[in-house]
Amino acid sequence: MRAMATPRGIAADSGAEIGRSVDLDLSGAWLVDPAAGREGPADLIVREGRLESVTWLEAGDGGAADDAGVIVAPGFIDLHAHLREPGNEAAETIASGLAAAAHGGFTTVCAMPNTTPPIDHAAMVVAARAAAAATGSPVRLLTFGAVTAGRAGEQLAPLGELAEAGVIGFSDDGSPVQHPELFRNALAYSGMLGLPLVDHPEDLALTIGAEANDGLTATVLGLKGWPAAAETNAVARDITLLAEVVRDAPGARLHLTHLSTAGSLDAVRRAKAAGLPVTCDITPHHLALTDEWLAGSRRLAWAALADDGTPRDPWRDRALVAAPYDSALLVNPPLRSAVDARACLDALIDGTADAIATDHAPHAEVDKDVEFGLAKPGIAGIETALGLLLEAVDAGLLPLARAIEALTTGPARVLAGGSADAARRLGRAGAAPGLTIGAPADLVVFDRGARWTVEPANLLTKGYGHPLAGRSLPGVVLLTVAGGRLAWEAPAA
Amino acid sequence: MSGTLADAAPADGSAAVEAPGPAWPHRHLLDTDGLTWPQIELVLDTARHMSEIVSGGRPRSTALRGVGVTNLFYEASTRTRVSFEVAAKYLSADVVSVAVSGSSIEKGESLLDTMRTLEALGAKVLVMRHATSGAPYLVAREFRGAVVNAGDGRHAHPTQALLDLYTLLRHAPGGSLRGRKVVILGDVLHSRVARSNLWTLTAAGADVWVCGPATLLRGFEAWAAAGVGGERRFTVTSDIDAALRDADAVMALRIQKERMAAGLLPSLHEYAARFGLTGERLATATKGCLVMHPGPMNEGVEIAADVAARPRSLVIEQVTSGVPIRMAVLSLVASAAGLGGGAS
Repeated sequence: MRAMATPRGIAADSGAEIGRSVDLDLSGAWLVDPAAGREGPADLIVREGRLESVTWLEAGDGGAADDAGVIVAPGFIDLHAHLREPGNEAAETIASGLAAAAHGGFTTVCAMPNTTPPIDHAAMVVAARAAAAATGSPVRLLTFGAVTAGRAGEQLAPLGELAEAGVIGFSDDGSPVQHPELFRNALAYSGMLGLPLVDHPEDLALTIGAEANDGLTATVLGLKGWPAAAETNAVARDITLLAEVVRDAPGARLHLTHLSTAGSLDAVRRAKAAGLPVTCDITPHHLALTDEWLAGSRRLAWAALADDGTPRDPWRDRALVAAPYDSALLVNPPLRSAVDARACLDALIDGTADAIATDHAPHAEVDKDVEFGLAKPGIAGIETALGLLLEAVDAGLLPLARAIEALTTGPARVLAGGSADAARRLGRAGAAPGLTIGAPADLVVFDRGARWTVEPANLLTKGYGHPLAGRSLPGVVLLTVAGGRLAWEAPAA
Repeated sequence: MSGTLADAAPADGSAAVEAPGPAWPHRHLLDTDGLTWPQIELVLDTARHMSEIVSGGRPRSTALRGVGVTNLFYEASTRTRVSFEVAAKYLSADVVSVAVSGSSIEKGESLLDTMRTLEALGAKVLVMRHATSGAPYLVAREFRGAVVNAGDGRHAHPTQALLDLYTLLRHAPGGSLRGRKVVILGDVLHSRVARSNLWTLTAAGADVWVCGPATLLRGFEAWAAAGVGGERRFTVTSDIDAALRDADAVMALRIQKERMAAGLLPSLHEYAARFGLTGERLATATKGCLVMHPGPMNEGVEIAADVAARPRSLVIEQVTSGVPIRMAVLSLVASAAGLGGGAS
């Protein structure tokens, strides 16, 4: 039985109301503005939802001396979330998903189309938009359209019609576009429409019955191995086809989502160096958690890596502190080795990874509280993304500004690509991150020094179970403002 | 210490096992990985004591009188289920066996719901067999009594490993396996027996080798290099001659026909030719090399019929050993869970 704290309830306690126009007077907070490439202490004033002024301060001016306290940043954009409505409202609804997003600091959520039925025709896009509007949440819902009709992988969905209805790209996420010829055609066609094709790279022939990253943990726990090659192969295929497609479809753009292996990130690095129009994202859980968590380890990825760059042995380290086989950890792609997690971090820092995406994938209790290998894969991580990134920041491994960039301007660039048309469209949707004077404010305020405990009572997602349950995370989101309106406000302490 | 197992010699003439005390802290037995060597010895000592009940030298124990022991089997099994039933009866438990065909999901009731139903029907000790690795950990998280894993997927079969160790030690010179070469031969990848034995045999100080076709050793080279528990090394090879040379004991594993459909093996014939345990191959092993098999055997495939039947074969003795080992395990976990009369 969960004590569900609704944002409305909380807001009522603090005398505020979700959706109301925001007035804000922040002085001396640490402002991170990736669009301007600047961070430092600043005063910031919002009047009736519009950003009235930003005044950068010198450190001596009474502003914050460093970035350890209250941080202000543009609202986050999540490129990859599953809101489960329609079809599986027991797992999540658009309302609960947007509330969870706001709690996580996100002001824009890009929903994947693998609902039931899938978003593979225009009416579904319109319905999703109407459902989002009906929630009263100011968090923006953008939707991807399916690549193939019914996500069946057989023929193209009506991509042009979906584009006219306002989708931001195409994806069969949950599954790859397995057929190479169809994938090639989808790339060319979506390129013609000025929209990215988002692939979930998985060679399904290598993952039949797979349960856990192919490594020591899978061997010891007797779980069927999920090889890195399943992802690396698929990424290599996608990039090879992209290189051919761009010759006659110069607008083609490929975005690879939730990359998790050193090999696939290397392939993207090389493709980018060769000038191919490819982008990618990684999730917070692939960056911060590893497969040894399945055996009961609870140390973060960087603590699981030896100085020589090899994974440490959690048995030797006596690092197994929790019960094994927690199905909350079952996710696609699987949690990988500490070496892969470090590769994700490196890719984020060097820009190979353009964005952090949560792959927020909530499931109902009936699908999750079952035997490990029979559970549905997915982590409902939209509320814990910031916290896991801040763990990496606090460990001295990730600059705060880069983390914020990967949550704001990074995903915005992925969506807009090189297309002025798409950028305009995105701007009209209000998702262009930035702190434009006179425009409706889109921002998140969080206390980096404060910590909170991940537990059902503190989460707004309906998703059952969380791999971080019981753990404390840094970074309490105090306020989320989307389009000048209140999306989340922390209850008064 | 075996001294803790002395009978309390109750007035009604039946035997009762003294509560083992803090030496056995485990309310569940889910794998052998969490057992210290003294705890393993406690199981073996308890089983030696229990074997006197089985052989008729002592009266039936009342240790689990009135305690509901439920065997919940999601996979077909004869020997393990019957062995647990017999063991529970020797301890005077109330035994129920439930066979569920297909997965819990196909059945439409979740594993946890099934567990709660059985708990409501009086199950205090749940013995479970499941095709999914880790399933008993889910049940143990919620079950109020004791859970004994009777085999989960590829992961673990702790009572089998303990009875294998018990059987081996009965025949090992000096009653120790320290430095003795023990070979696990066959489909190691899919074997819960192999995994659980790796923990116990390396804990016993044996020089453990695992041998099989490369496709069925996936991941084990890395585990061998890391060591069991991050410290106890073993050897992995596909060279059966190297594995059997000077071996003190060989444990052949069952090979299943599904492995060919999965592309892991060309044919049973080829497997038998290259990895079958034959008398000829055993010629380079030590003279008294012990032969084991967890059963059921495919004679002529992973083990030649004459090898299985030879005097040094412990296959039948393994089955016999299963009962006292399971009696020991049931009484120990029940005691840790505060069930049964114990010595009172």
